[in-house]
Amino acid sequence: MVAFRSTDTSGRTTGLLLRCVLYCLLALALIIVDKHYDHLGRIRRLLSIVAYPVQIAVASPFEGWDWFRESVTTRDALRADKAKLEAELRLAQFRLQRYEALEAESLRLRALRNNTAGITDRFLIGDVMDLDLDAFRERVLVDKGARDGVFVGQAVLDSGGVFGQVARVGQLTAEVILVSDATHAIPVQINRNGLRTIAVGTGDMGRLKLPYLPTSADVISGDLLVTSGLGGGFPAGYPVGTVAEVKRDPAQSLADVDVKPAAALDRSRELMFVWLRPQASSPVPAASATSGASVAPSGHAAAPAPAQPPSQSAAAIPPKTPPPAKNLPPAKTPPPAKTPPPAGANDE
Amino acid sequence: MMRDTRIRRLPMALSALVALALAVLPVPSVLEALRPDFLVLVVFYWSIESPRAGGLTLAFTAGLALDVIHGVVLGQHALALTLMAAWATHLRLRLRVFSILSQCLTIFALLTGYQFVLFWVDGATGNPVTTFGRWLAPVVGALLWPVLAGILGRLHER
Repeated sequence: MVAFRSTDTSGRTTGLLLRCVLYCLLALALIIVDKHYDHLGRIRRLLSIVAYPVQIAVASPFEGWDWFRESVTTRDALRADKAKLEAELRLAQFRLQRYEALEAESLRLRALRNNTAGITDRFLIGDVMDLDLDAFRERVLVDKGARDGVFVGQAVLDSGGVFGQVARVGQLTAEVILVSDATHAIPVQINRNGLRTIAVGTGDMGRLKLPYLPTSADVISGDLLVTSGLGGGFPAGYPVGTVAEVKRDPAQSLADVDVKPAAALDRSRELMFVWLRPQASSPVPAASATSGASVAPSGHAAAPAPAQPPSQSAAAIPPKTPPPAKNLPPAKTPPPAKTPPPAGANDE
Repeated sequence: MMRDTRIRRLPMALSALVALALAVLPVPSVLEALRPDFLVLVVFYWSIESPRAGGLTLAFTAGLALDVIHGVVLGQHALALTLMAAWATHLRLRLRVFSILSQCLTIFALLTGYQFVLFWVDGATGNPVTTFGRWLAPVVGALLWPVLAGILGRLHER
């Protein structure tokens, strides 16, 4: 054995170097092509099918354990659960009573303004697979993919609110980037007064930030943030989070606002993929696609921008607190707070 | 000789698959940053022990599998793993006569190099992960090396 190996060595030193260089060039080529072009999408989808059995094999024991625990719960626990769910259902139904009427009214009003952007059309439920994708990025893998019509940039909700959006699609699985990922940004609106801004992830599942609000902005802790629907990626009016803390430092021009996400980012097992209703006719998104692109990078927030009224691209933040009525954007102005499918989703 | 390689390939493929599964096994988030790169250690082991059976092809394939399963840019782990496996193969005759401590230190250097290539590609493709946590994995990996080499050695001898 040993003799075999030592003769083996001398003969193969050059071979090793050559093969190393070849493989490295191949890997570099893959990186460049995958980063800059779209050709590898199909290959990646096929590869994700190959990876699927491994992912299933890893996830299934945990799912089996969950199933086992569920099936051995006592009758009392089930009863308590049922009572709780029924109470929740009653509450939800109370809230729903006026929903239909309100939705119809909203549709009518929007139709008057020729703006039906951001209205949801249909849902698809997906299960989160029990896997750790990456310790340093906030992503989850869901068991729905291109086969089910899921597409990149699609909005994903859970029962509490906005969860994230689809970053990558495989044939059978999709990778969802959470709203709390450090590269994710989402256009939001304060429900109380209609103030528009952008909520940026922090890399911490329990916290988002509003980095673009001036210290004078009308925001208090407890404010509910909902999606504004601007930019067309997310449906309008879904809860994103509640303001947890507002720190105003008079020396800074921007306030430091912490938001607690509405979705149970670390616990949700079932997610909803959302399809938006195709728009009737509106030149808005095309115009906004370019104007908002410069807002997203989070590095922008760190530089304390002087307090001049943000003019064009940074117009996400109204300089003072404008009256609510003014805030609802007329259909024709390009929405300033357009968030591109977040930087992270594009850049890989 | 054909038979010989084939026999050696089975434990290799098996251990690589198990290590790949361990790479995405859900753990409490406190431990997540400490998770060693199991597949990388396994590839190092086979590069040192029997480079003829798999060597760089194993490294490249395993790297691609990691890319797909972690959902990062294709070729990132493949590049890092190929480079470091080639280095490990180059060092293998020395590594075999090293003491356990020196072996661990060498593996630590290889793992750090691996992380460094990943770090560099992350930065070059515009998703820098700058948390300090990512440099913990090489430490844990190096500490784990004697155990893993022992287990794989048993598997190998059978």
